[in-house]
Amino acid sequence: MPPAAADIRPGATVNVEAVCKTYRRDSQEIVVLDRINLAVWEGEFVALMGPSGSGKTTLLNLIAGIDRPTSGRVTVAGADLGALSEGALAGWRSRNVGFIFQFYNLIPVLTAVQNVELPLLLNPLAGKERRARALTALRIVGLADRASHYPRQLSGGQEQRVAIARAFVADPPLLVADEPTGDLDAHSAEEILDLLQTLNREFKKTIVMVTHDPRAAERARKQLHLQKGVLAGA
Amino acid sequence: MKFLPFIVSHVRHNWIRTSSTVLAMAVCIFLFATLQTLVYAVSGQVKSPGAFRLIIRNNVSLAFRMPKSYEAQIATVQGVKRVSIANWFGGMRDLAKPRDFFPNFAVEPEIFLPMYPEYQLDPQERQAFLDDQRGCIIGKDIADKAKLKEGDSLQLQSAMAPYRIGKPFEFVVRGIYRVDQVRFPGTSENMMFFHFKYLDEATGRKTAVSTYRVEISDPSQAVAVGRAIDALFRDSEAQTHTETEAVYAAGFISLGGKLALLLNGIGLSVMFTILLVTANTMSMAVRERRTEIGVLKTLGFSAGLVLRLVIGEAIAIGACGGVLGIVLALFATKAFVKAPMIGDLLKRVVNLGLPLPIAALGIAMAVALGLAAGLVPALLAYRSRITDLLRQV
Repeated sequence: MPPAAADIRPGATVNVEAVCKTYRRDSQEIVVLDRINLAVWEGEFVALMGPSGSGKTTLLNLIAGIDRPTSGRVTVAGADLGALSEGALAGWRSRNVGFIFQFYNLIPVLTAVQNVELPLLLNPLAGKERRARALTALRIVGLADRASHYPRQLSGGQEQRVAIARAFVADPPLLVADEPTGDLDAHSAEEILDLLQTLNREFKKTIVMVTHDPRAAERARKQLHLQKGVLAGA
Repeated sequence: MKFLPFIVSHVRHNWIRTSSTVLAMAVCIFLFATLQTLVYAVSGQVKSPGAFRLIIRNNVSLAFRMPKSYEAQIATVQGVKRVSIANWFGGMRDLAKPRDFFPNFAVEPEIFLPMYPEYQLDPQERQAFLDDQRGCIIGKDIADKAKLKEGDSLQLQSAMAPYRIGKPFEFVVRGIYRVDQVRFPGTSENMMFFHFKYLDEATGRKTAVSTYRVEISDPSQAVAVGRAIDALFRDSEAQTHTETEAVYAAGFISLGGKLALLLNGIGLSVMFTILLVTANTMSMAVRERRTEIGVLKTLGFSAGLVLRLVIGEAIAIGACGGVLGIVLALFATKAFVKAPMIGDLLKRVVNLGLPLPIAALGIAMAVALGLAAGLVPALLAYRSRITDLLRQV
């Protein structure tokens, strides 16, 4: 079924139009997302909620350009992601999306500042400039004094802050976060949510966050619910 | 270059695994380089056209002897300039201490010395040696090691049955020969020569000949002269086998063509094994880092760049192993000539040293092995989808 005309918002930063995602397991077809329509405007902070298996992470992956829909169209920051080759999509991701993972996913053999510097390696920047930008990002997340520490020397909350610095260091317009507080204690989770709010309000980053946690979702300006692959609405 | 610190960090991270892989690669390249150096040096000698000296032995083996009467017959062959007996004596100062051994030969000095200008003696030393049937000459290395000088006496016992006479042979050092290593590189200064006549008389004139040394007039006729000599004794009980000195020595240290093939076979087997070990290591490294590769791709690293990073890591390990292997081979080729027994033989045959092309080939092979080992894991990383890589196991 085509999306309703009211659901298509050409000016949005993220525009998900009639997106379906199905997986095939043996002869069985599993529908993960069923004709999803979604628009996220520039500067919005959207929380995607829903039970396990509802398709939240799959939708987030489609928006971040790390997966492709079975049908439908995903447009982010003016680019039709389905029309991009794998190589072009990788380049697009490096410029437009910062990804925050539930389990931080820092590279264990690199220091905090080297981890933050990683996305900048894809830009034509001199080494000194890269390092300066990475240190600035670490300062913003309050970890300038931990620049030379390895991930194993940091707490969970600190690791996630480094991961957030890595996500925004290349100044992408869109940040996507998959359960960013899912592995943290309450205090650290609050710090991370404060940080995301700061990035949204002060740095005008558009944020799409998947979460189970209603308290985390309350920090977002808009909450959407996914139920069995169908978007239930704000 | 900006990705180099990233590669180095990974290589350093699991240092035990990296070190053992580098070491395995180093051993592989070390074996390759040393074996190839030997094969290269010996085959170079064997192919050398400057064969102006021939060695004749019993066609069956060195363990079998030839009659003394052959000497006069060999001298009649066209192209032969001089003939001298040279018998391996195998004498030791103390049979219980084989480590103190140095090669010693019973020769006919009047003929042998002009045939071997590389052994340099003062005229007085030379004359003293010729005049004294119990006299001997020794190389400078022996003199230094055993603290011997002219006029000193020396007792040797041979472990070889024909030369066991119930008491030691007594010699007097009449000269210490030196070698011009510029003109005759690699010539041993760790040998002793004495009068065959002394040996013959002491054993009741029953001594047969283990080798004849022949100097020929025209090195280009070496093969023809050798054939003529062997033809002379074709119908005799003790048939002969004549070959150039270099070929003889090469054969003596068992580095002839078949052994070169064997050595190359061993080298290839080792390399294949190391390839499997390194490939396994790289596969493990990539498998352990599935999430990390997924993260890199999420950040915008293209599949091609991830492939190059994994291959770069494998090549870095290969190159480190290659360089280490070549350094070890450099030391080994220098140490060969100092090894007991084999060192003296090698010194006489080849001018050892690691040739630059072999060193370069060794490092190139290490890099190629690294590349081959890293290729499959790198392709797996290249092909994997981000969502599969990021799935928590």
